[in-house]
Amino acid sequence: MNSLKPFLTLLALAFVLPWLGLIVYPNARLKSIVTEVAYAKEDDTKDAVFPTGRAFLSSGAKVYASNGCAYCHTQMIRPTYAGTDRWRSGWSGREEDGLARETLPFDYIGERYAYLGVQRNGPDLSNVGHRITDTKWHYDHLYSPRKVVPASIMPSFPNLFISRPVIGQVSELAVDVVEREGSRYEVVPSGEAKALVGYLLSMKKDQKVPKSIAAK
Amino acid sequence: MSTDTLPAVDDLHLRARIDRSLRYPLLFFFTSAAAWLSLSSLLGFFSALTLNVPELVDRFPYLQYGRLHPVHLNALIYGWAMQAGFGVALWLMARLTRNVLRNPVTLVVAGHVWNLVVSVGLLSILFGWGTSMPWLDFHGGLWPVLLLSYISIVIWIVGMFASRSDKGAFISQLYILASIFWFPWIYITANGFIHQESGPAVMKAGINAWYISNMIYMVFAPIALAASYYIVPKVTGRPVFSYALANIGFWTLVIFTGWTGMNRYMGGPLPAWLPTVGSTASIFLFIPALAAFYNQVKTMEGKLAWANYSPALRFAFFGSIAFIVGVALNVIIATFPVGKTLQLTQAQGGVDLVGVYGFFTMTVFGAIYFIVPRVVGCEWPNGQMIRFHFWFSAYGVGAIAAFMIFAGLAQGYVIGNYTEEFTTAVERGKPYLAALAIGWFLIGLSNISFVAQLGLMAIRRGRRDEEGPTLIHKKPEDYFTNELVAEKAAQA
Repeated sequence: MNSLKPFLTLLALAFVLPWLGLIVYPNARLKSIVTEVAYAKEDDTKDAVFPTGRAFLSSGAKVYASNGCAYCHTQMIRPTYAGTDRWRSGWSGREEDGLARETLPFDYIGERYAYLGVQRNGPDLSNVGHRITDTKWHYDHLYSPRKVVPASIMPSFPNLFISRPVIGQVSELAVDVVEREGSRYEVVPSGEAKALVGYLLSMKKDQKVPKSIAAK
Repeated sequence: MSTDTLPAVDDLHLRARIDRSLRYPLLFFFTSAAAWLSLSSLLGFFSALTLNVPELVDRFPYLQYGRLHPVHLNALIYGWAMQAGFGVALWLMARLTRNVLRNPVTLVVAGHVWNLVVSVGLLSILFGWGTSMPWLDFHGGLWPVLLLSYISIVIWIVGMFASRSDKGAFISQLYILASIFWFPWIYITANGFIHQESGPAVMKAGINAWYISNMIYMVFAPIALAASYYIVPKVTGRPVFSYALANIGFWTLVIFTGWTGMNRYMGGPLPAWLPTVGSTASIFLFIPALAAFYNQVKTMEGKLAWANYSPALRFAFFGSIAFIVGVALNVIIATFPVGKTLQLTQAQGGVDLVGVYGFFTMTVFGAIYFIVPRVVGCEWPNGQMIRFHFWFSAYGVGAIAAFMIFAGLAQGYVIGNYTEEFTTAVERGKPYLAALAIGWFLIGLSNISFVAQLGLMAIRRGRRDEEGPTLIHKKPEDYFTNELVAEKAAQA
């Protein structure tokens, strides 16, 4: 190869095509659909996909990311042609209401990043908001997982809790009470734990798909 | 790529001068890379251990699996693989373009910046600024700095190529150029799309998967292939068997890799055609893998047994086989019957490791065994230790990949059997995760011997007798080509 020009042109071409086809175009197309969905409420007032009431979303997701939860938990339910996720009890949404389904791009509206995950050392969390509704359960589980689920290999997260002196009654959120130097301390969730549990409780990826986009 | 005729004396002296000019940058990149590799193997062992005995880190939240594992992975990618790649690419390019390096200081400074950013990035994961985006876990503000330091390192490689005296281009040069052309592109794309405020969240996960696949096959693989295509002919004293085949391998790799990656999320919430395209494109990667292997075997024809003796040949040979195995596993795991069980389990990590460790790292070990004696002017202290390094690495990476895939099968089978409790999947996977820790322990052991020898070479405490290059076993009669012997004499 005597001239570099044809080489570089071919190289650039080989790189541009997948870049446009796999990244730029699908990104733009998904962006437009997702934006449409967010404003499609007139069509299906009750069924809008846009997940409402996820106030804890960004701060909770940040705690989720910084503790590496996504390295053991997934947030995606595969359709029946690609696995049996749909049939595992509680994973794919409210079966009794006929709402259980695989996850769709619209389920992640409002999130900065979809933590689809890499492996399932722990259960899928797409619909954990339906599965476990008890806030206290989550706090106990985060603080000492094996007291709640004996076979669990989840690490405990003492960094999400603070201990403070008990004044009057023990807080109902307290996960532990310890005796130190004659006074009693309670271990209660920190702001981060509250954000994280808020995020987990809001994890409901089974909203009805509005008619306006069902066809797309 | 001459045969057994002797190169001119001037040329031999030029080679010696090139090697000497590269001494400090190369030693800097190789030793710091090796240090990160040791850290990464240690953390690989420890993070696998915490999956088995999570109570170990109950009191140390910064050492939980969710932080240790990404630190281990990113140290392997950015600390070891990228930097070892810099060293190998620099040396190959300097040798192939007959360029003496004129700015070792700038290069070493840029290398320090790289190491600094990697250290800060790893600490950022440990202290809770990690992003939980595989292979892109560093704090979101670090990527422009890392990119700048990348460019300030590879710019010298491009400069050498631009000022080459021989206007032709060897296949190794093309591979190196493709690799350093593609990394900034995918790195900017991935970070640019992922770190923007808006944009569809699922697409970001898809781009992340695409980034990983392209790092393996279009950033790391070309460097390893460049090293094989240079070193195998050098050691055996034969020209590359078929240049046409080498070109076919190159272009198929370049054309198809860009389309791979999203097959990791088969059945995921992405538009279904994206994973489908990824699976299909992955199949075509058999072409570059088989082409490289066939070329290597044919180049070595009649001298295959030399792989017993030459460390460079042996590691490169293992690497080429691992490339084929890695591509095969990658294709298999992206088919519906297998993927529904194995995807979203430990298995995917095992498959990636075959590419990053089995193929790239092993080949680069071979290249380092070939390059370092030339730049420091003495030979590796001990052939036995090289043999130890080879077998423990080979068994280590083989065991890790196998156990991760078996763990994936055990987990995936139970998860797929939807009436079984999820905790059963955890329990079934556990024995394999214990074995995984042992695998990383083996790799850690092997790297101790590597680091020790590299350290001795760096302070120029290698062998200086008349024996010639250090071999894995005692050398056979007809071993050395005249060229390498003459090269050696010119360095003295």
